[in-house]
Amino acid sequence: MTGHHFPDEPLLATEIEPGHSSTDEPNGLEARIRLLLNTEPFAVLCTQGQGQPYGSVVAFAASSDLTALAFSTPVTTRKYRLLTEGDRIAVVVDNRPRHREDMTQVEAVTLTGRARLLPQGPEREQWAAALVSRHAYLKTFIAAPTTALFCVDIVRCLYVTRFQEVHQWIPTGPGS
Amino acid sequence: MDTDRSWIVTLADADAVDPAFIGNKAANLARLIQAGHHVPDGFCLTTAAYQRFIREQGLGPIIQMELRRKPLATMRWEELWDVALRIRSAFLSAEIDDDLSHAIEVAAGKFPGARSWVVRSSAPGEDSSLRSFAGLHESIVGVCGLEEIRDAVRKVWASLWSDAALLYGQESPLDPLQSAMAVVIQERVEATPSGVAFARDPRDQRSSYAIVEAVPGYCSDLVDGVVDPDRWLIHRESGAIAQWKPGKRGQAEETAPLLSEQALHALQKSLTSIESLFGWAPDIEWTGCANELTILQARPITSGKTDPADPRAWYLSLKLGPNVLRRLATLVTETRIPQLQADGERLMDEVLESLDDQELADTIETRSSILNHWKKIYRDEFIPFADGVRHLGRYYNDTVRPDDPYEFVGLLKGQPMLASQRNHKLRSLADWVKTHPEVETALKRYLAERSADFDWTQAYQSIAQLSAGAEFVEQFKALLAKDMDIVFGEERLGDHPERVLRTLLQLGQPVSRDVGNDYPVQGYTGSVAELEKRLFDAAGSEKLQEAREILHIGRLSWKLRDDDNLLVARLESQLLRALRLGAQRLMASGRLSEKVGERVREKVTSRVVDALRDPNAPCSDWPIEETSEERPPLQSRESARQLIGQPAAPGVASGPVCRVRNALDLGRFRQGSVLVCDAIQPMMTHIVPLATAIIERRGGMLIHGAIIARELRIPCVNGIDRAVEVLSDDEWVTVDGYLGIVTLGHADFDLETGSN
Repeated sequence: MTGHHFPDEPLLATEIEPGHSSTDEPNGLEARIRLLLNTEPFAVLCTQGQGQPYGSVVAFAASSDLTALAFSTPVTTRKYRLLTEGDRIAVVVDNRPRHREDMTQVEAVTLTGRARLLPQGPEREQWAAALVSRHAYLKTFIAAPTTALFCVDIVRCLYVTRFQEVHQWIPTGPGS
Repeated sequence: MDTDRSWIVTLADADAVDPAFIGNKAANLARLIQAGHHVPDGFCLTTAAYQRFIREQGLGPIIQMELRRKPLATMRWEELWDVALRIRSAFLSAEIDDDLSHAIEVAAGKFPGARSWVVRSSAPGEDSSLRSFAGLHESIVGVCGLEEIRDAVRKVWASLWSDAALLYGQESPLDPLQSAMAVVIQERVEATPSGVAFARDPRDQRSSYAIVEAVPGYCSDLVDGVVDPDRWLIHRESGAIAQWKPGKRGQAEETAPLLSEQALHALQKSLTSIESLFGWAPDIEWTGCANELTILQARPITSGKTDPADPRAWYLSLKLGPNVLRRLATLVTETRIPQLQADGERLMDEVLESLDDQELADTIETRSSILNHWKKIYRDEFIPFADGVRHLGRYYNDTVRPDDPYEFVGLLKGQPMLASQRNHKLRSLADWVKTHPEVETALKRYLAERSADFDWTQAYQSIAQLSAGAEFVEQFKALLAKDMDIVFGEERLGDHPERVLRTLLQLGQPVSRDVGNDYPVQGYTGSVAELEKRLFDAAGSEKLQEAREILHIGRLSWKLRDDDNLLVARLESQLLRALRLGAQRLMASGRLSEKVGERVREKVTSRVVDALRDPNAPCSDWPIEETSEERPPLQSRESARQLIGQPAAPGVASGPVCRVRNALDLGRFRQGSVLVCDAIQPMMTHIVPLATAIIERRGGMLIHGAIIARELRIPCVNGIDRAVEVLSDDEWVTVDGYLGIVTLGHADFDLETGSN
């Protein structure tokens, strides 16, 4: 089913029906992913170019329906150039610092999707406001003309906990 | 604890409260009240109120970003001033929420008789016997009405992060999320006379004398230096009045003491009682006298002695009140600058070649003492007067409340500074050359052919033969003699016409900045007149005169900080001219080697003088060392990739680095390069238009380089630690003047594709 919406997204795990998780339950997969994205302010952005992966820490904000997130970067950075050359990216959000003593409690979500540069306009303004609301110190940074805002349209979320327990959740689909 | 009860404590009830909650000032006042001293009524806004404000307004992360983006220890005081300005601006644009505001209103309402208030900082640790300094935070006198109280509270809160506090916290900065400031809000008592008193002479902790100072009117008039006080020395044990020094409040000193013996004894008695209460010798502010004596505040006497090697105390002394600034403005502009200018011109006109050796030695000594005289005035008066710009900045931001805390810088544009006039002449001559291709071609040829023994006299002669060549030679020589008779990097710029000419020929070319033209200019882009109107409208008719005067002084201060450098550099040039002549004579007589003689500097002045006076004085051991290029040891596997500084002028541009460390580098500077230097000085601003971008070690939004870069729309990042050492000539860099980032290497960064 996911192939229908994102035909060229490679399948990285056993496919689960989109929206198939128990989204309404407080402890359901969607709720746990949402909690992680709302609690952790920073993520690792994974880009690639010429076959070389590249990772960067970014401050992010996610949409309430978990279909998208946004981050900012100066245009003079390597990650900016890689993003303009290839839009397939991954974003890792985790809570390692909270569970230094117990690996089994660490939660991580790997989000895969497509990044797009946000041009000036209402969508950029909305994301800028969301980022500043979450990261007030970014106000000047985000307002600078040499700061680019990217929106990531999230294709799938791979949620990991208890060391190796992995579940996939698709934010957009018939069940959403 | 986060309730209106925990936000407010009345001073009368505050003696039982932990000073960590109300600050030392409030705690001290509370103890004075309990001990029976008369203290103005009021209340304390606790640290919980501050913390709520910070939390509700999301200010914690903003302060964190300001304090931690760069190591505080690498920031000069100008950068700390900027940090404090931005934090203050963030505090002033944040609102006190309704609950807290209501609590303040209720607390103030309990003092219905209060017409005017004093809002004072009361930080935990402030005014304690462990602190060796005072005045790091703000206190505001004469606050009327709830809105002004709220405003004053935010300013006092922001002063937890004042430049002075940051300066003293550089080694162990406060934690932005844990630190807090309490505020004392008291009725303003309008008694007279008022003053300060020290239980011991603050200059000598073993002194047997107390000191009392008094003025008619408010204590703030004394503290701000508005009114000259009467001053008494009183013996601590006997209470005997040992000395009275009358204040000078009119044309002459007062003839009768302002305080009676009875009033002085009452003050002495209070000092003794307070000392015994706290266990430390107090420094108090008081008002009213004898039976009506009111103690405004009491704190431990801070040591009058400061470590001369510690520049922080000197920096703090540069913060001047409006009255001192006004006095300095008159002194500097009407007396000092004209004198300095006249001294320079007089020395330029003196013919030295006809002097004998003894006369030349005398002249060198005279020039040296004139220069030293002006260097002292530079430090004692010119640098302090530079506070006029900062004063304008604070005033503009308090009055207009702009989004951009540097909007006021636009008011400084277009001041007729000496350096701008010189640069304009150079530019005009460059344009003239462009319209005379024959002269231009000849000049380029001369420069291309120039070798070490190139003779400029000959060059001038042959250029003068060209059509319109004589006109160029005349103008160029006048420029060298008048505008380039200055020292930069211990060399006289006029001594090297070829360097000036290289700059001149490039000035005629347009500079292309390959990146950044697409980016919009940020912030308020109004004209100078529009900014003035904004200021005057916000000040209103009541404060119009005040606003005009502060603007006037700010502009004078800005202009002066440029002109004074050039005028002192001219005096340096005139001393160097005399020293060079002396050295030439010593070289001609075979006493001085050419190697040393060519490198004569100001620091060997006394050696040159001695040698000219005494034919037997040695000339072989003069301390003239080669200037060595100081590069830090580079780790072979270490390299900088992105450097963080201050976004000093908007725009983004890339280019090869050209470091300017001395006069030789000025001549080497090529159009389209990124100018990298310690700090742009007025002596070198003629090359600035050639730069595609600017990087400076010295940081600050109000330093020369930042303002010139903004005027010329050249992207500038300053405050890059060790910029000249870290960056190499010809290295490609990208300067992002919006974000304060310098990126090393080409934009097309290599990826690690497994080749190594």
